[in-house]
Amino acid sequence: MDPSEVEFLAEKEFVKIIPNFSLDKIYLIGGDLGPFNPGLPVDVPVWLALNLKQRQKCRILPPEWMDVEKLEAMRELERREEAFAPAPSPYYMELTKLLLNHASDNIPKADEIRTLVKDIWDTRIAKLRLSADSFIRQQEAHAQLDNLTLMEINTIRQFLLDSLNCMYKLRSNRQPASAKSRLADY
Amino acid sequence: MDTHSYFPVTPGVGMEENFLSLDDILLSQERLPVRTECVFPRLGFLEKSSDSQDIAEGTKMEFPLWLSKGLYEKKRKVLSVELPKVYKEGWRTVFTADPNVVDLHKMGPYYYGLGSQMLHFDNPENPDIAKTLLQTFIGRFRRTMDSSQNAYNEDTSVLVGRLDCLEKVLFRSGQNGLNGFQSWEKGQASQLTASGLVLNYRKRKLVDVQP
Amino acid sequence: MSDALSEDGSDINQDDSQEEVMTPAELIAKLEEAWLNEKFSPELLENRSEVVECVMEQLTHMEANLQRVKKGDAKAGFHRMEIDRIRFVLSSYLRSRLQKIEKFFPHVLEREKSRGEGQPSLLSPEEFAFAKEYYANTETYLRAVALKRMPPNLQAVDMLKAVPEPCLDSFVFLRVKEQQENILIEPETDEQRDFVVDLEEGSQHLMRYRTIAPLVSSGAVQLI
Repeated sequence: MDPSEVEFLAEKEFVKIIPNFSLDKIYLIGGDLGPFNPGLPVDVPVWLALNLKQRQKCRILPPEWMDVEKLEAMRELERREEAFAPAPSPYYMELTKLLLNHASDNIPKADEIRTLVKDIWDTRIAKLRLSADSFIRQQEAHAQLDNLTLMEINTIRQFLLDSLNCMYKLRSNRQPASAKSRLADY
Repeated sequence: MDTHSYFPVTPGVGMEENFLSLDDILLSQERLPVRTECVFPRLGFLEKSSDSQDIAEGTKMEFPLWLSKGLYEKKRKVLSVELPKVYKEGWRTVFTADPNVVDLHKMGPYYYGLGSQMLHFDNPENPDIAKTLLQTFIGRFRRTMDSSQNAYNEDTSVLVGRLDCLEKVLFRSGQNGLNGFQSWEKGQASQLTASGLVLNYRKRKLVDVQP
Repeated sequence: MSDALSEDGSDINQDDSQEEVMTPAELIAKLEEAWLNEKFSPELLENRSEVVECVMEQLTHMEANLQRVKKGDAKAGFHRMEIDRIRFVLSSYLRSRLQKIEKFFPHVLEREKSRGEGQPSLLSPEEFAFAKEYYANTETYLRAVALKRMPPNLQAVDMLKAVPEPCLDSFVFLRVKEQQENILIEPETDEQRDFVVDLEEGSQHLMRYRTIAPLVSSGAVQLI
């Protein structure tokens, strides 16, 4: 999957905005939005929030987790724990990039947040590589990956799945007969 | 975004080959040391070192993999295929000790592919060969992964030069994952670029114009 | 602002409510599920033409309404953006199916041929036509560039053997939507033994596609 497609999915997440215009409720195919009143916070999907922001029609309120203290705590937890800690948001990387690139003036301490998120990302990716290696090494058949985000999976997906496929074929060399009967039942 | 105009067929990797895979076609040209176990009448022209019309029984020569597979029969002895040395016990011990030190490109470059194909020929060592192939792959996985993700922040060209063809394909898919992410992060993903087909077309036109 | 836009979804919904009552939002969610499943499953999944058709209907209806709105209407811009996003998912979904048909065409057609009476088709009528044409074109091409120059006994290529089939033993990443118990995991090596896992709702896993293929079709798990 292309990272921009993962970002596309992240754009469906809701954020709070404070509009500077008024508009009745809109009935989109995907659900109702609004009504919009100047100065009153309202939930909208990120794709719409960014569009309004670019046209200077609103101010975006950063999501709760996008906060230096909270992210620092998460970074510590991530570094301390061997397993994956819960991610700040299932789309933390994408939302950080989108909001900081297009609405950094609405987000306090934007630079610190960028660094913290990158630190969390790097720690998690290092863990991901470690677990991929042990999955291959132990020749495991199943892994539970509850806290992994789609963007994280996506960076390693093709490589890991291709490698597992190669390994599967090299392993079926050892039992050629059973490999053939398995192919036959497709 | 994925802009392949067609899907190259991937190699079969194991004992099965993929008919339309370019890698598997190249692999089938690999030469194997064989010994003829009967007379091959009127094929003497294939054996440059002698003038006789036939290839005599017991001649040692090299056949490409496709021919060896075609002529080999388990019941009737037509030819026997010798193991290339990289699959013999001596090398297997080296691989078991530390698979990462071996230059699989030089030893291969179809180390896994040819090794799997060798299992078509009866040999008491086959189970050990199959086991070594798998263990070598597993043992080298971490290096291939880390270097494809630039984890060492170093020049990877030396390491890549030592990868077997299969590992190189994996290395590339690892790099694609990383590059895709990095260019997304830098915001390059949102810029539209001309497709490779169009670029090639322009180049060709330019060449045509030149006298 | 016109009323045409305000009553968009509800009336369409009533037209289609004979079988299953689905809100437009649920319909879009179904399309996105189908899109991701198709992207990540190693084999071609059953076609979801009913979803595709309903989404198309929604889009046409919405676009017709937008025609009637005057320029510069703030709401119309929102609707257009949403339409573009839905169109993107829809075409990406259809395109990933076409890519798989190109990759596995002989096997896809073979499966279509051996399909029993009353069994649903893997392919939409358009996809079936595409697959047949692709098969014919590939054959013609191979004949033109190589086969016709071969000795007569070597002029046939068995497409089913020449084109690799989908590898159902590939691993996939998935998220569980409906709790599943006692999923049997086959061992990878002789030294291991098989074991069972429970798939908790909301949990994510990496395992072989073959093990959970039926759960993908039933919608109990989502590939990610």
